Amino acid sequence: MVSLSSYLFISFALFVSGLAVMIARKNIIAILLGIELILNSAALNFAAYTRFVNQNLDGHLMSLFIIVIAAAEAAVGLAIVIRFFQIKETIHIDDATQLQA
Amino acid sequence: MSLSINEYLNQFEAHQQAIAFLSDFLGTDASGIMTFLVFGAACFIIVNIMALVGGLGTYAERKISADIQLRQGPNRVGPYGILQFLADGVKMIMKEDIFPADADKPLFNLAPLLALTGVFATLALVPFSSGFTLVNLNMGVFFLIGVSSLVGVAVFLGGYASNSKWSMLGGMRGASQIISYEVPVTITALMIVLLSGGMSFGAFVETQGGLPHEWYIFHNPFTFIGFFVFFVGMLAETNRAPFDLPEAESELVSGYHTEYTGMRFGLFALAEYIEVFVLCGVGVAAFLGGYKVPFDLGSGALFIDKLGLPVIVGKNIGQVLQVGSFVTKTLAMYYLVIWVRWTFPRIRVDQVMTICWKYLTPLALFNLVGVAIWMYAFDAHSIWEVLGQAFSSGH
Amino acid sequence: MFENILFLSSAVLALSGALGVVFTKNLMHACVLLLATLFGVSGLYAVIGADFLAAAQLVIYAGGVIILMLFAVMLTGGAANNENKFGIDKVAAMGSVKTYIYAGLTVLVMSFTILKILANYMKTFEQGELAPFESTVEKIGTLLVTDHVLAFEISSILLLGALVGAAAIARPRRG
Repeated sequence: MVSLSSYLFISFALFVSGLAVMIARKNIIAILLGIELILNSAALNFAAYTRFVNQNLDGHLMSLFIIVIAAAEAAVGLAIVIRFFQIKETIHIDDATQLQA
Repeated sequence: MSLSINEYLNQFEAHQQAIAFLSDFLGTDASGIMTFLVFGAACFIIVNIMALVGGLGTYAERKISADIQLRQGPNRVGPYGILQFLADGVKMIMKEDIFPADADKPLFNLAPLLALTGVFATLALVPFSSGFTLVNLNMGVFFLIGVSSLVGVAVFLGGYASNSKWSMLGGMRGASQIISYEVPVTITALMIVLLSGGMSFGAFVETQGGLPHEWYIFHNPFTFIGFFVFFVGMLAETNRAPFDLPEAESELVSGYHTEYTGMRFGLFALAEYIEVFVLCGVGVAAFLGGYKVPFDLGSGALFIDKLGLPVIVGKNIGQVLQVGSFVTKTLAMYYLVIWVRWTFPRIRVDQVMTICWKYLTPLALFNLVGVAIWMYAFDAHSIWEVLGQAFSSGH
Repeated sequence: MFENILFLSSAVLALSGALGVVFTKNLMHACVLLLATLFGVSGLYAVIGADFLAAAQLVIYAGGVIILMLFAVMLTGGAANNENKFGIDKVAAMGSVKTYIYAGLTVLVMSFTILKILANYMKTFEQGELAPFESTVEKIGTLLVTDHVLAFEISSILLLGALVGAAAIARPRRG
């Protein structure tokens, strides 16, 4: 039951869910949640390959760096969202239509 | 060697015979099932004792605060009022379960459960003795600090889901306080990781000794300051006074758990008291020598060799002594936490943030660098050994 | 047997959390369901023996990123279901039927593509003997300062930049 196929399937399901969230939602923070799901699916994929295919720990390190980068990107992304809200009073992505405030 | 409870029990022949008996009885290899049963029994014992500790913590707080304030405290229900916490529990269970209008029902129900989950998940790592640790994870302290930040999420959700402005304020203050003070607490724990050479609690405790001069708190001046940084950070992590602005009674009615009644509020309070015990246990394991008994009585070698007792009895007496040592030190620190609550006035929220980011975090970083330099300069000997070598070589 | 139980419960938690994030109407519920997904993924890391990765996932994601998201939701108007102000057809912030149709079509196309590639690989992969569990903490620590020290140092600079940048972008302005 614990095999590479099941892990690939789970990471595929997470990726596709994240993709659906990113397309269907119009709230900027909800889109950031979708980005987190996609990053998690990629990290899970790397870790699964380390366990089942190639036992050097590069896959684990890649997952660790993905986690770090996802945290940094979530922080800066949410700061941008907060600034956008301070200017435009809304967090609907259809209102983000201009390049200059 | 600090082992998990299954590895400890595997040393004894009686345990091996029980596994063999069970294998014959069931026809399959029963070592996995035996592991599971042992874990189940140990979890049951630990959870029940911790619930008792949570309840008795409320009693202890009331008695100690009464002692500080020159009054009696609870003394009616049972001898010296010791059954007061049972009466409080019965009262809480019988209260009406009020649910605020327009509150977010799933999140409202989830918040106390999340708080209790975050706290009980850390109980698996607390090193009661060298045999009675549920699991000796190789990254014990890292995992523990991470899981106890679930309590921060629970505080925030409780404040938000109550649909009340005061609760929301209390929830935001509580969550920001918890995540801010994780930084100095984690850096101080990292300092001990440097000294002991591993992140597991077994490594923390086994590299210390039983007598006070072998504890990490007296190892070098940096860990001495680090203990107080850890203590202050631990007070703020658990929302204990003087950092209890999230539940400030005079300002926010009751902060993030204003709208919670009955057993839901009981779960929040229980989570707070058990978290204080767990973090005191972490402080004891990291700084005060953990479960080590003076003169190495804990390994049972004295009883087996000198008194000639059988191995199983000698080791178990050693284990009991170790549990006694750990519990004594943890309860002493718990007393200190309660004492501090009833001594100092409450700190304002901007002062709370100032203390964390402008004083404790630079101090924790300074301690970390200091310990690293100490380890390089003195080859990780404690200050007593260095002074001893200096004086003995000087003669 | 216990490995299978842990794997199943973590997988169920992760997948149901992800499905919840897709279909729920409330932003706060979506954040809490993401927390459940991250817990599930951490459990999946634990099953394959990546103990440090599981703990790091819990500490960084469940203890950090989720609280960040919750604070951002609070600071930008809460979980009210806003609609955009302009345009003839007002689109709800958490998605309407039209956006879900687009999402569904994209998901179908991507699923076919990805599953075709994966199925090829899953058929031809032979699972050999799996190594017993060893703790990975020390090995990862050694690798980080010997083989991958450049990535380690650059990620520390990245985090510094993220820290300063987030504080500079979102600070309150005067006037």
